[in-house]
Amino acid sequence: MDAPFALEMRDISKRYPGGTLANADVSLDVAAAGVHAIVGENGAGKSTLMKILYGIEQPDSGAILLDGTPVQISSPARAIALGIGMVFQHFSLVPSLSVAENVVLGAEPRRGLVLDLPAALRSVGELAERFGLPVDPAATVGTIPVGQQQRVEILKALYRNAQILILDEPTAVLTPQEVAELFTAIRGLVARGRTVLFIAHKLPEVLAISDAITVMRGGRVVGNLRTADATAEELTRLMVGRDVSLQVARTSHAVGPVVCAIEGVSANNSAQLPAVNDVSFVVRSGEILGIAAVEGNGQSELLEVLSGLRQPTAGRITLGAEDVTGWSVRHLRQAGVASIPEDRLARGLAAEATIAENMVAERIDRPPLVNRGILDWSAIRRAATELVNAYGVRTSSVQVPVDTLSGGNMQKVVIARELSSQPKLLLAAQPTRGIDIGATEFVWQSLIQARNRGAAIILTSADLTELLALADRIIVLSKGRLVAAFPDPANLTPEDLGTYMLGAREQPAAERAMAS
Amino acid sequence: MTELLTTIISATFFFAVIRTTVPLLLAALGGLLAELSGALNVALEGMMLSAALTAVIVSASYPWWIGLLAGVLAGMALGAVMALFHLRFGADVVLVGFAINLMAAGGTVFILAQATGGDRGTSLALPSKSIPRLSLSWLGAIPGVGGTLEAALSGHSYLTWATVILVAGIWFMLYQTATGLRLRAVGEYAPAAAAAGISPDQMRALGLILSGALAALGGVQLAMFNYIGFTRDMTAGRGFIALGAVLLGARRPGGVAIAALLFGAFEALAIVLPALYTSIPGELIHSIPFVVTLVALVIYARRAQLLTRRRVAGVEGAT
Ligand SMILES: Nc1ncnc2c1ncn2[C@@H]1O[C@H](COP(=O)(O)OP(=O)(O)OP(=O)(O)O)[C@@H](O)[C@H]1O
Ligand SMILES: [Mg+2]
Repeated sequence: MDAPFALEMRDISKRYPGGTLANADVSLDVAAAGVHAIVGENGAGKSTLMKILYGIEQPDSGAILLDGTPVQISSPARAIALGIGMVFQHFSLVPSLSVAENVVLGAEPRRGLVLDLPAALRSVGELAERFGLPVDPAATVGTIPVGQQQRVEILKALYRNAQILILDEPTAVLTPQEVAELFTAIRGLVARGRTVLFIAHKLPEVLAISDAITVMRGGRVVGNLRTADATAEELTRLMVGRDVSLQVARTSHAVGPVVCAIEGVSANNSAQLPAVNDVSFVVRSGEILGIAAVEGNGQSELLEVLSGLRQPTAGRITLGAEDVTGWSVRHLRQAGVASIPEDRLARGLAAEATIAENMVAERIDRPPLVNRGILDWSAIRRAATELVNAYGVRTSSVQVPVDTLSGGNMQKVVIARELSSQPKLLLAAQPTRGIDIGATEFVWQSLIQARNRGAAIILTSADLTELLALADRIIVLSKGRLVAAFPDPANLTPEDLGTYMLGAREQPAAERAMAS
Repeated sequence: MTELLTTIISATFFFAVIRTTVPLLLAALGGLLAELSGALNVALEGMMLSAALTAVIVSASYPWWIGLLAGVLAGMALGAVMALFHLRFGADVVLVGFAINLMAAGGTVFILAQATGGDRGTSLALPSKSIPRLSLSWLGAIPGVGGTLEAALSGHSYLTWATVILVAGIWFMLYQTATGLRLRAVGEYAPAAAAAGISPDQMRALGLILSGALAALGGVQLAMFNYIGFTRDMTAGRGFIALGAVLLGARRPGGVAIAALLFGAFEALAIVLPALYTSIPGELIHSIPFVVTLVALVIYARRAQLLTRRRVAGVEGAT
């Protein structure tokens, strides 16, 4: 190839203060006007490499070349000036500001001293239109859906005239429809000459959108492929170092007594609008009940009600023989409910506390971790280390703050803590979102094991293949109502579920009631 | 009761309310800027006190406006010290603030004694100056309401009128300029601002230094207009009441002005009431602003909780 690459990274190495070698002699060649994907396990060093490119972290050694010219990227401001934009794994938007204000923040249009808001609204509107990223420039960012928030992030980069756009796990928070829209937008960007760096864990997505793929493992590059020549199996082998089948062996087993019964439960969402409408079903010991629903159809609120985070407006919940309607999170936990929340950073972790503290947070009110009211730190460390090893959390020690972990490893901490509490009822919301394929396999197996041990599990997932692979029974929610129930999903297809999820069909009430 | 009403609904009482409000309002505006940038400034009290003494000492030998400027510089310097320790050395902003208050309380007494040659209580020995009054006697010529207007509005200091302009100016700065947008963005979610290439530390330093300047103006008005001269601890908790006004005023310039006016009215009441009702102890009335501040803080904390809950839910409800 004659033309220089849009971006070259040469022998980048980076060791964090904690001692983790996050990047080791990483080199990357990215062709202009294409999509270059970077894949790898949780903690492989993908985000670190991107943060170096965006000037947030400084490499210990190595060089970066843009269009063949060496550059120093000392800060995000410098990266922006060089035409690099980044959309983070965790968004960086100011919730109370408008879309337009968020986009122009730091590069505001002015008339003399005055911030020219009309001009901001206009140019953001135009930009959104030109790049096919529809969003209302006047809307308050905190009130729009995640998919649109992501568009705002992309618009922010484009507004600063980014030629290279870094998208760190952009699809992890999106619904399948939103992913499709994002891909359309990415293709539009590439057609207009932009270069996109794309990170994702779901290989079908990577294969669908990218032109070239770099595989990282343990901070090193272990493969460079053209997407046209790549297969999911080969990528997995490179990433994990072994074959991962993502097939769960489902031993047939006996279903036990009802663990949790939900009768006529209704609940409002945070805007106080009805979100769950008169839903009834039961979960039995030793079964996984899958809830299939398009995002925003009440499944999040329903799980929040069951975990005690949200009060139902009507209905009754019984756990075992006890009426637990309206119980607090703490009491429900003591009664044997565990929960892997959807937003694990906000609700599952204390970000600045250590891994050990987070791992045992749920158990520190009783022996063996407490001795006569005093925390036994060596027991806590031992317990945490065990979990870290069992769940393959990549970290140098259990005594570092959780927020120094890679995104996927933070998730593993929550999952490890919740599964290890041997719950009677486990609420698992999107348990494999954002975690790598090896860990996904492990979480699947753990869920199956918990089920075989006799736990009742309620599972939601945007990934229908996950639901179909794991669930013993599936119910479908649409607009907060239970519209279908399938006692035996073995021969269901995603399309079957889809028609019910979109509200196009509904089972007769009798059939629903029998199966739920 | 009628006696009370005639006292309160009078031009002189209105005049008194403006007089008691201005120092509070200036300090509250300072507190607002720091708070919006994300650094709670509990040192308003110490900044007011230090600026008051500086202005008194300097104005003893120079024109009044040089005294005023010197006071403002002292406040800005303290703001810069806060910024240095909090942002550069990573000290907790509230601790730094209290350290400044303690230093100011002791330091002003010490310096006062040095400047007066031994008086540890007041600056009576110093020929300090006052900020000139702005006479609006022409208002009296307006038929009907003229007399009342003149009594209420004429004779306030230049700084009083400048404060009115400052409220508008600060609103403009916060909501109509890029600097204001950045300041608010940093205060609400610093990582977002940082990702947009804005330095959160720079914006917070700006917030703290401007905060020092405004609190200083409050102190200067106190020592060069409300009272002439310095007395030890003359701010008497106004810096903390100002902080209450920031929160009660919903962290917006207009709201803060109204809250400060409310607290100012209580202070003015505390002055007139004991004369009318000898049975009510003056201390009780003096404590009203503090009680209201406490209530405001509780309300604020609850609302902040609700807001974050809604914010988390708002972002997540959509996932
Ligand atoms: N601020 C930090 N301080 C110390 N160590 C860190 C920090 N950030 C990341 N690390 C470590 O560096 C390694 C690489 O992390 P990185 O975030 O780059 O992984 P990743 O490939 O993006 O993973 P994921 O897919 O889970 O997001 C991890 O072991 C992580 O624990
Ligand atoms: Mg990452």
